[in-house]
Amino acid sequence: MQLLATSELESAIPADVASLAGDFEALVRLYRPQVFRFALASLRDTDAAETVTQDCFLRAYQARHRFRQDCSLRTWLIQIAVNLIRDRMRSRRLQFWRRASLRCLPVDVVRSTIADGARSPETQALLQQQVAAIWNAAECLPQKQRTVFLLRFVEDMDLLEIAAATGMKEGTVKSHLSRALRAVRERIGELT
Amino acid sequence: MIAHLSAEQLAECILGQPDAEVARHVEHCSPCRAELMQFREALGEFRGAVRGWSEEQASAVLADAAAVPEPRSFRASHQLAWALLIAAVFFIASFIAPGRWGGNAGGSAGGSAGYRAGNDALLLNQVDAQVSRTAPSSMEPLMKLVVEKQ
Repeated sequence: MQLLATSELESAIPADVASLAGDFEALVRLYRPQVFRFALASLRDTDAAETVTQDCFLRAYQARHRFRQDCSLRTWLIQIAVNLIRDRMRSRRLQFWRRASLRCLPVDVVRSTIADGARSPETQALLQQQVAAIWNAAECLPQKQRTVFLLRFVEDMDLLEIAAATGMKEGTVKSHLSRALRAVRERIGELT
Repeated sequence: MIAHLSAEQLAECILGQPDAEVARHVEHCSPCRAELMQFREALGEFRGAVRGWSEEQASAVLADAAAVPEPRSFRASHQLAWALLIAAVFFIASFIAPGRWGGNAGGSAGGSAGYRAGNDALLLNQVDAQVSRTAPSSMEPLMKLVVEKQ
């Protein structure tokens, strides 16, 4: 299969709802990595994230005629993913499995990301610890705070987009983010 | 002038919405500026690490999906099932057949052999009679009529 550049994929995304069905494959190719990443960061379970991603696109396809274009396609898909993840987290049965399959952010991934010749080994080591602390702190956050935190600091969404994706008011999103950041900073502060 | 940034003010700075006084403080206070930069850097690295991990996991999922063998077609499965069934029948028959016809070979071998020879002769006679017929059995009444007229 030939891989298309992001710009090519974006140009292939339909501009209106009528053509959404026809170009749905292009939409999946473009947004699948983002939806999967958000699901994985939220659930920390590859299989569950994969299931949520597939469900997300299935629901999007089924509901494509209801897409009102009052937000971007990405926000709409993330909105569906947020709901699916919330439902999954609510399931008591899954809670058990989720706890059982909790994963730490792999050290080698963190190391390879942070590896930079311009930084001293001490700085790199400190950053690794800080990244691990943020990862652990995010796990302990209440669900709404974690969702907005991941959408802001992993998915790079702005407050308005997060508000649209989560169904919260912008002020509420800001409040959750502020609390989440305080909790994360406290966790980082424990390192020193 | 505020002393140093509180956690809430630091969060406002991270979110890019500090009020004027906080922004001014950050500009002039190097410890707060350093702390803010360090926090931003850690969050940036966190983003990179999560994205890297996600890409790694996504590749693993795709590799697993590619490694799954294609399901056999119904026709191929059907043929395989028939082949296995026939093989099983032959296998079972190879155990049953010697027991049925050769199991009592020690006791009454002579009688059994004679019985089998008689059966064979009877069968051969029947075959011979069928083969040597001038007309099929269903046509024989008509043949009789033809013979009587002559």
